[in-house]
Amino acid sequence: MMHIRWGGEDLCLLAEKAVLWKRRRTLLIADPHFGKAAAFRDAGIPVPGGMTRTDLGRLDRLIGQTEVRRLVILGDFLHARAGRSLEVTAALADWRRRHSGVEVLLVRGNHDIHAGDPPQEWRITVAGEPLADPPFLFCHEPAGRRGGLVMGGHVHPAVVLEGPGGEWLRAPCFCFGADRAVVPAFGSFTGCKAIRPGPGERVFVVGEGEVVEAAVGR
Amino acid sequence: MELLEAWFNRQGWRPFEFQREAWSAYLDGASGLVHAPTGMGKSYAVWCGPLLEGLTEKPAAADPPLPRVLWITPLRALAHDTLAALRKPVEEMGLPWTVGLRTGDTPVRERRAQRERLPTALVTTPESVSLLLSYPDARKRLATLRCVVVDEWHELLGSKRGVQVELALARLRAWRPDLRTWGLSATIGNLAEATAVLLGVPSPAARRRMSGRLIQGRMNKEVAIETLRPPDMERFPWSGHLGLGLLPEVIAAIGRARSTLLFTNTRSQAELWFQGLLRARPDWIGRVALHHGSLDREIRERVEEMLRAGALQCVVCTSSLDLGVDFSPVDQVIQVGSPKGIARLMQRAGRSGHQPGAVSRILCVPTNAFELVEFSAARAALHRRAIESRTPLDRPLDVLVQHLVTVGLGGGFTPEDLWREVTRTHAFRNLSLDEWQWAVDFVTSGGPALKAYAQFSRVVKGEHGCAVHSPRVARLHRMSIGTITSESQMAVRYLGGGRLGTIEESFMARLRPGDRFIFSGQVLELRLVRDMTAYVRKAPAGGGVTPRWYGGRMPLSSRLAEAVRARLAEARNGRYADADMEAARPLLELQAAWSHIPGPGELLIETMRSREGRHFFIYPFEGRLVHEGLGPLIACRLTRVMPCSITTAATDYGFELLANVDTVPDETRWRRLLSPEGLLDDLHACLNATELVGRQFRDIARIAGLVFSGYPGQARPMRQLQASSDLFYRVFLDYDPENGLLQQARREVLDQQLEITRLRQTLERIAGMRLVQVETAQFSPMAFPIWSERLRSQHVSSERWSERVRRMVVKLEKTASRPRPRRAGRRMLSPVACAESSPKCRRGKLTPRAGSA
Repeated sequence: MMHIRWGGEDLCLLAEKAVLWKRRRTLLIADPHFGKAAAFRDAGIPVPGGMTRTDLGRLDRLIGQTEVRRLVILGDFLHARAGRSLEVTAALADWRRRHSGVEVLLVRGNHDIHAGDPPQEWRITVAGEPLADPPFLFCHEPAGRRGGLVMGGHVHPAVVLEGPGGEWLRAPCFCFGADRAVVPAFGSFTGCKAIRPGPGERVFVVGEGEVVEAAVGR
Repeated sequence: MELLEAWFNRQGWRPFEFQREAWSAYLDGASGLVHAPTGMGKSYAVWCGPLLEGLTEKPAAADPPLPRVLWITPLRALAHDTLAALRKPVEEMGLPWTVGLRTGDTPVRERRAQRERLPTALVTTPESVSLLLSYPDARKRLATLRCVVVDEWHELLGSKRGVQVELALARLRAWRPDLRTWGLSATIGNLAEATAVLLGVPSPAARRRMSGRLIQGRMNKEVAIETLRPPDMERFPWSGHLGLGLLPEVIAAIGRARSTLLFTNTRSQAELWFQGLLRARPDWIGRVALHHGSLDREIRERVEEMLRAGALQCVVCTSSLDLGVDFSPVDQVIQVGSPKGIARLMQRAGRSGHQPGAVSRILCVPTNAFELVEFSAARAALHRRAIESRTPLDRPLDVLVQHLVTVGLGGGFTPEDLWREVTRTHAFRNLSLDEWQWAVDFVTSGGPALKAYAQFSRVVKGEHGCAVHSPRVARLHRMSIGTITSESQMAVRYLGGGRLGTIEESFMARLRPGDRFIFSGQVLELRLVRDMTAYVRKAPAGGGVTPRWYGGRMPLSSRLAEAVRARLAEARNGRYADADMEAARPLLELQAAWSHIPGPGELLIETMRSREGRHFFIYPFEGRLVHEGLGPLIACRLTRVMPCSITTAATDYGFELLANVDTVPDETRWRRLLSPEGLLDDLHACLNATELVGRQFRDIARIAGLVFSGYPGQARPMRQLQASSDLFYRVFLDYDPENGLLQQARREVLDQQLEITRLRQTLERIAGMRLVQVETAQFSPMAFPIWSERLRSQHVSSERWSERVRRMVVKLEKTASRPRPRRAGRRMLSPVACAESSPKCRRGKLTPRAGSA
């Protein structure tokens, strides 16, 4: 766990790839891409099962440990229409029932637009970008958005760390700039994209159950 | 026969003995392999058999005969020339045959006509054959074939495309048991094995009738290896591959000859030499051309035509011109850099002096001083005829999985019958029932019953066998057949529309709009990327990044490595066998003065301290592949006895371990570290610690149809079905660790990449050697090239993950991005290697300046 202060608020960056905003008892995740493996299988591409269960289990533990009242999903909740298989929707409905006391908000991402909104009975409030919750603006695609402290996902950020003698290491990360923050993708069956932080941006890498701030330099 | 002889006479030829031998073998119903160097008439040795058969038949009805001959060629570029060569006698002797072409480049209209009816003889590629097999009426259309010719079989042998051909042949033979198969091959060390692989395991009935014939062509070509030696060895670099140091001398040599092929080992090197030649000789514009596999087909064909017409002074090329037809105006072949193997050197030398009996000459140009030793060693090995073999592949399950879907599309299969068919191939002759069952399960349900993937099917098990029903699966599959060979490619086009060629997506991914790079002999500026196309414009002026194509770096063959060891051992005793060794002498003497030259029975270990940490350089001289395995292996063993992080790098001569703790093992410990004992266990442990298996999985994921790279110039199919092979690799590791493809990846790393047999032999050899450990004050001439080779470095660590992160740095965004820097900036000792990505190549001095070690 890593405590940081951003925009005058205290945030915890969690190794489970989530952000805890204690004051508002809110948990933030981005890009879970539920049903992605199912969509692949539907198209005849062999992907093993079990990832939805793993990801929901992780979310269960997070909600249980942090005792939040609200979960905000920064887009790409569902991966594709073809991924809304019975198995996936049943698992998600179950999960929702287990946390009926938690308010769930979804900022619609590019995948959600094609996959369609979650069914009403899941009681997930769906909003377009940006969703204002001062001092933050919750988005899916943070790039190019101005006018507040923007927090989003979409890029599935990772960085390449370089050490002496050509040693290197690649890890998913949180990236916090002056007025923009990107959260790593939550889903197990999601890739990541190497980003280069700009001047003044702080990078927190995630791996082996830890969150570590990485040195940024030339 | 008279007709054919008359035709030969009209060409001014007389049939060679081996050609007659091949014709009569064909008419006897036999299969086999014809071995002859390029340009010695081996195409007609196999083509005229079927023609003779056709000539003796009564002229049939108006229609040309049904498909009879399938001619498989590994290179699309060769297909056009082959087509012309095959058509010539057919037309001139008035046979009513049609001879057609089908490759990925064949226009849709022609392909549609072929859907109706295939020509009598079809020239095609391995991928196109698989595509033909993937249509439901494949059997009906192909069952009339009498003969399959596989051109340049040595090139396919040992590759997955070769296995693709083996599987296709097994299928065709199942339909037509008396199908004849003929291969054409240049010189390799295992021709008998090559024949056996091509012909597969014969069915009991066929075994009685024939065994494969190996027909030897005329082999009277002598090869002379000449060397262009640097006039000033003092200023000649110790390492690097792209160096233009000898450009003036090369220009002089080109000027003396009528037409020159200048071979480089990589496409980047070709681009740089082409630029270098034109900068030095602007008057050669239009007479010097560039040819490599990434350039657009039209550009390549134009170059080939001009070459044939004798209109070119020089073509700078890569292995793209290793194969194929005769370019008779070529009277000089230049090889830049070490050829890394004897067979390749012979092949390239053979591109000149096509007149029978003439000596093939090849002029070798070193790019660093040690290559002189390699040229000298190659000469010695060639003298002893120590020519490399091509090891056939064993059970690549990814190719099998692809084939199952292909057959599922092409009429379906019952597992029992297909098992019998598949195990007739050499590649799958030892396929276990478990492996077979896994492969069938993988395409039908994702895994065995208990682990079946929910709602998955690719091939559907039905009452009448297994078949593909989904049109989407069919479309994705046909697309992945076509991309079996290569990394994902992007088209390169001008904004105005002109096509330049294709380039690896991984290279383009590192560039941003506005960045410059050198391609197709020009400095280009990237404007935008859309739909797998990089749109560019000519850059106003100035330098650019040369694409670094990772694929082309050949490791030193074991034959040549052995010869290099022998040359060095001689040098240690003061014997410098020829002028090349004499030229390398100052460098070797410096090595002896600063460190040591290993004699026979000695293993040299150099140790050194620098700001980077503690370096160990170990020199088994076994070729890069073996060293790439040894490095991580020894590193793993070392991290087990002391917590530290180690980076390893390897070249053909040795490998480096760079540790972040300053402890030097004593002899007893080195013995343990280098022991062959526990090799397999340690290697498995070490594979988990490195990225080697994940890297190997990339090809497998593509071939098995997990990832779709799409075609250059087209939008990727179905964006929401894109996932990287790395992601698949991790997911299989976590959720389906028994997956056969993962096991295949491990096996491929051990067998092919690290060559475990050779690795074990190396450790056994080392066990009997004397260890010579020398602490050096600076990088020795032998160490320096390894140190500067950090492209493919591997890391092994027993430190905590977070500790490693704290030592490392994320690079800030730069305005102009470049390919990932090979190493953190650090001041270097005197002998500066070529700045490989910069055309402004600096040369180092041999005389050491005061170092800073």
